[in-house]
Amino acid sequence: MKKQFLKAGMLAVMLAGLLTQTVSAQSDPTGKRRVTTTYAITNATVIKAPGDPGSKATILIKDGVILGVGSSLSLPKEAKIIAGDSLFVYPGFIDGAGNMGITKPKDLERPKDFVSSNPADEIAGISPWRSAVDSYTTVNTLVDDWRKEGFTISQVVPDGGMLPGKTALMILGDAKSSPLIRANVSMAANFRSSRGMYPATVAGVMAKFRDIYQNTTGIIEHERLFTFTSGVKRPQATPTQTAMAPVVEKQLPILFTAATELEIRRVLSLQKELGFKLVLTGLETYESVIPLLKTAGTPVLIKLQVPDDKSIKSQKAEGVTEATKAEYARVKEAYNKALTQAAKLEKAGILFGFTTVDGKAGDMQKSIKAMIDNGLTEKGALAALTTNPAAILGISALAGSLEKGKMANLVLTTDTLFNADTQIKHVIADGYVFDYEIKKKSAPAAGKSEAPVEGAIEGLWEYTSETPAGSSGGEIVLKRENGILAGSITYDDPMGSGKVSSPIKNATLAGKKLSFEFDVAAGGMSLTVTISGEISGKTMEGNLSIPQMGAFPVKATLSSPSQAN
Amino acid sequence: MKKLNFLLAAFFGLGLSITHAQVQKGSILIKNATVLTVTKGNLEASDVLVQNGIITQIGKNLTAPAGVISLDATGKYLMPGIIDAHSHVGLDVVNEGSAPITSEIRMKDVVNPTEIGIYRALAGGVTVSHAMHGSANVVGGQNATLKHRWGTLDPGDVIMQEAPRTIKFALGENPTRVHGRGNGIQPRSRMGVEAVIRNGFNEAIQYKKGWETYQLAKNQKGNTTPPPAYSERLQTLADILDGKIIVHCHSYRADEIYMLINVAKDFNIKKLVFQHTNEGFKVAPEIAKYTMGASVFADWWAYKMEVYYSTAYNAAILQKNGAITSINSDSAELIRHLYHEAAKTQRYGGLTDEEALAMITINPAKQLGIEDKVGSIELGKQADLVLFEGHPLSSYAIPQMTFVDGVKYFDKAADKNDQRLQVSATEMVEPIFLRANDEAHRCMQDVDNYFEAFQGAFLKEKH
Amino acid sequence: MNRILKTFCATLLALLPIVAIAQIDGEFVKPRNGKFLLKNATVVTVTKGTLANTSVLLENGKIAEVGTNLSADGAEVIDCTGLFIYPGIIDGGTRLGLVEVSSVPETVDYSDVGNVTPNMQALTTVNPNSEAIGVTRVSGVTTVLTVPSGGLFPGTAALINLNGYTPDQMYGGFKAVAMTFPSSGRRGRFDRRSDEDIKKDGEKALKEANEIWTNAKNYLELKTSGAQLAYYPEMEQLSKVVSGELALLIEVNAASDIQNAIKWVEGKNIKVIFTGVAEGWRVADEIAKAKIPVVTGPVQELPTRSSDRYDTPYANAGLLAKAGVKVALRTDEEENVRNLPFHAAFAAAYGLGKEEALRAVTINPAEIFGVADQYGSIEAGKRANVLVSTGDPFETRTQLLHVFIDGYRVPMSNRHIRLYQEFLERTPGLKAN
Repeated sequence: MKKQFLKAGMLAVMLAGLLTQTVSAQSDPTGKRRVTTTYAITNATVIKAPGDPGSKATILIKDGVILGVGSSLSLPKEAKIIAGDSLFVYPGFIDGAGNMGITKPKDLERPKDFVSSNPADEIAGISPWRSAVDSYTTVNTLVDDWRKEGFTISQVVPDGGMLPGKTALMILGDAKSSPLIRANVSMAANFRSSRGMYPATVAGVMAKFRDIYQNTTGIIEHERLFTFTSGVKRPQATPTQTAMAPVVEKQLPILFTAATELEIRRVLSLQKELGFKLVLTGLETYESVIPLLKTAGTPVLIKLQVPDDKSIKSQKAEGVTEATKAEYARVKEAYNKALTQAAKLEKAGILFGFTTVDGKAGDMQKSIKAMIDNGLTEKGALAALTTNPAAILGISALAGSLEKGKMANLVLTTDTLFNADTQIKHVIADGYVFDYEIKKKSAPAAGKSEAPVEGAIEGLWEYTSETPAGSSGGEIVLKRENGILAGSITYDDPMGSGKVSSPIKNATLAGKKLSFEFDVAAGGMSLTVTISGEISGKTMEGNLSIPQMGAFPVKATLSSPSQAN
Repeated sequence: MKKLNFLLAAFFGLGLSITHAQVQKGSILIKNATVLTVTKGNLEASDVLVQNGIITQIGKNLTAPAGVISLDATGKYLMPGIIDAHSHVGLDVVNEGSAPITSEIRMKDVVNPTEIGIYRALAGGVTVSHAMHGSANVVGGQNATLKHRWGTLDPGDVIMQEAPRTIKFALGENPTRVHGRGNGIQPRSRMGVEAVIRNGFNEAIQYKKGWETYQLAKNQKGNTTPPPAYSERLQTLADILDGKIIVHCHSYRADEIYMLINVAKDFNIKKLVFQHTNEGFKVAPEIAKYTMGASVFADWWAYKMEVYYSTAYNAAILQKNGAITSINSDSAELIRHLYHEAAKTQRYGGLTDEEALAMITINPAKQLGIEDKVGSIELGKQADLVLFEGHPLSSYAIPQMTFVDGVKYFDKAADKNDQRLQVSATEMVEPIFLRANDEAHRCMQDVDNYFEAFQGAFLKEKH
Repeated sequence: MNRILKTFCATLLALLPIVAIAQIDGEFVKPRNGKFLLKNATVVTVTKGTLANTSVLLENGKIAEVGTNLSADGAEVIDCTGLFIYPGIIDGGTRLGLVEVSSVPETVDYSDVGNVTPNMQALTTVNPNSEAIGVTRVSGVTTVLTVPSGGLFPGTAALINLNGYTPDQMYGGFKAVAMTFPSSGRRGRFDRRSDEDIKKDGEKALKEANEIWTNAKNYLELKTSGAQLAYYPEMEQLSKVVSGELALLIEVNAASDIQNAIKWVEGKNIKVIFTGVAEGWRVADEIAKAKIPVVTGPVQELPTRSSDRYDTPYANAGLLAKAGVKVALRTDEEENVRNLPFHAAFAAAYGLGKEEALRAVTINPAEIFGVADQYGSIEAGKRANVLVSTGDPFETRTQLLHVFIDGYRVPMSNRHIRLYQEFLERTPGLKAN
């Protein structure tokens, strides 16, 4: 009996020991595990860092580390050769701030003693103690999509209210490996107000921010006093204050989201007043504040997108009045200004990277090319993808360039990176190789009709809607019953008692456009709300219209497609 | 010429050369106008010399110093720039309506210098506006006094940095509807409004005492007193009690006006101005004796119960009872013809030209604490000026040019039609604002937004 | 009698501002009809020039005579030397009398449930005792069109004179069905529907309107052929518009909507009046070509687009008139209809001109509403709606001394004035605490 237990125990220990070793020493009945962790990309044109004209070289990587970059490396026998003769190799891209792989936290139940003028921090979107680590999953289409564009590292930002939590650096490598590079990189902050409680507006958020900052400073002082003096009343730091202390002590920078010039100015003025370390992210329109950014020395992360040119394209040349022509000219001017911004940032010498938040992976190449066409140098663009974010995130020693000792994050392309016809053949992240299909350049399909998305919409969608009240959201269940599209939707009860559900009616799907209605009832009255939007893949973007109040943007993601798909 | 380039640059949104600290100042010689000084009578065929934003000479046959442009204003009327003591123009947020006391809110945080309402106000001769928090809360946020320096992208440039602090209070239907009836928080009645104010002030007194104790103790040897919790909300209320902030209180009914006068007396608050105060005429003697006056509508009434028993003679009655009286707009539409609103006091009460003009110049200046800087055409004051075709109190009057700090920001003949500072790069169809939306009156803006996403739609009241 | 009145007038003039006429403490002054001789004024007839030193005789609710050296013969003589007489001012679009306190829904009566309710009558709903009526008429506005609003066909509007104790006494002889033309524009700051969605919604709404119109046409056709149709009040009323019996007031503001509306009425052979027309200046030539009269306002309003010149709404009426459109003005107001003369002054200053602006609030609305035989100018035979003032009634400085409506001399008093009289010098004044 004892022997059996001992055997079992020893087996367990052995197994445990084995499990902690590299996985390569195990049987894998799926047959998917890679056979070696050593790779050599031979004779490729290697661009080690922005500004490097590129030279033929071989790169040797093992266990996720670059062992060497050079022309006469001795390659070990277990190195899998990747012929790089026709390929160009760049350092893997670094996403300064992203929300790929992040799940939205569940809305909290309002406690019975909820007072909307003084809600608990967590309910008001103030949860700086949370970490992105807890809401990140490696199995996520967005991660795959961005990796496909060359991103190997991302600073993931938790989702939530004005202080949703701390960010973390993740490697976009193998889904089964633990992705965390470093946690608590910065404290996320933004001007998102709470729905139906204090703070409900940007002005409230700014005041609340100051309040948190001041009281954290006070509690630090109190704790210092308590530590060194006896007879002092016990300090009662709230979780918010405990989490904000490193920010106040200037050890943890704030990653503040600000899209427009006014928002950027507001953040900068808060910084001037309070003195925290700052990285700005999510910049969309920023030309006029470039001098301010320069003076403040703030690193920034600009959105990886350019305004779409639908309106420019739709401008008629004939049959328009002088007044309309003048309006067209103004829109065009604004459009051009938006495209030349990045170039101006570079010229001003401001340290900037990209953020993938609000971007579409499929549009990335187009967006960067538009910026380059409008003045951004290729060196500057590459720096914004690699060395700049590495510097901003404090990981220059780990990533951003191809050097011995750094992480094995590489992008292998068929031509120089910003060339119009370039395609990405491989992305190596954390030493794991991801292969992509190279499409032969063929004539664009003429008038190809959109594949109907018929079956692909059934399942559970999670939606968020940006009303002036703030973010609201819920779940939509769509199913087809006897050929009729039906389902239900959950939303915040106007009477304030949490989430309620309503059936969907008049649902139609025409090509990619989905639309349906549902009734909201409160206090004996009833409203019919309409949601309509365009589906692309597993996301939907559109509008939620409330009669008398207008329409608000709504975004939904198909988080659990029905099995029938 | 350099200044002109500055202006052009500003118009094209390049704002680069206008930094926060340095405000544009102009020089100009306006010749041969009928000068309505407001405080020192009217001067026929006279000249006004402005140098570096200040009025340096007023007289006849002045000569322009080197480099100063002369403007022939023969046949035209020159008056001080109009001051609107109650406005929400240029603000991205009007109401943080989620709590009945929100004195920590600063409207200076949410100033938007590109809001087209600022230009439209300039076109109506308004050079200074009091950008206020809305009337959803009993104690609202701290207001921002703005100078309409149109063309900049920097909010700091339109804030009148030297203006004293003011704060918004509100009594009556609005706060009781938003908090009491809408959300189950005090106040729900006028009784509650008084209670909330008194509670707030008393808490502030305690707060102040706690910090004073700490300040005394903290540098003592062996100090065991930790810092108290910090609250800008209570600190601001304490500042009001210390006379550092002028209270501007939205109010309508005579009884609530009288209530606040007594509360002010109890807490020794001297700097108090009543806003709207449609029934102010019923307590005109009290307002005259105990406060810094009233800022009223010319003729709005009947849209709520608390304004049903109003009279268009309100301003005249207050004026004749010795209260400092001004006329305000509280509307992006009305602000464009405040000179006409003031003229209505001649129809309703027979006020003189001087009295009517004072209501939109020196009187609101006094109520905002800036009467030493603006509000009349006097030597040493800032050159905020408006040039009119026709006497400003005529219904046919048309503002021609508006100057702030001696810089011309509005010119009827020369300005482009499209004054937007920023245009969306993706705009296909410009939004059309029809009257049905009532965008103009924003005193309760953001309140329905504060409610749950759909709850707002069930809220009927918009004013 | 005459001498006493004469001294009284003189005292009145000396005692600016407005004072009630011959009042004993607490006595209420009622409107009085009778024979009145307004002697020796400057008479601005609107249609027959401005006549100096002329008198106007009012009798039996009508303007009996206009001329010099008229005999008093039993009339109350009001010496109007140095004063001016104008026709009563007409507001082409209001909600006067249909709402008392707009924040109190129980007092709001211009809008009901349902998209198609043309059968609902503004006239019977008018509250003759609304406080706003007394406040309005002392400004010289004697007659207004009061209009329901809300859905596609919100109701039937009515022309009312601001004197009388029942709606029938107030009725001014013109009714019309109101229509809110389906809009194709963005609804303002928070309307973030896509452009395609906006277009689709607009098309859907117009399609619906066409269906309803066709229904009304069918109703008329069948009724005319003698059929006994089931009770259908909405169609009964709409069929009167189809037949041309009642005019149709189409509320339409955005430029593209105006163009759509012009197209929509083409060939329908109905009596059409456009109301609102805020962006009319953009398509003025097209409106003129279609010969559709316009009631526009409020003049004191914000531009419809951020890119518009700041004075566009002030200049709108002038630009329409210049293009050849017949223009009347409205305040679209509920309790401040009294400001119409001032709106007219703004329109005048920004392009309409003083003469045309006066016509836009007198003879033009009278003609547009088909009641020019009774209203809109000072001519013998027309209704005795006149005002007597110290000058141009569009100027704020001017005081109005008398107003006559349907021949009644209305008391120059209202609650605003009574409050002024009570509180100008309150007794007790400041009570020392």
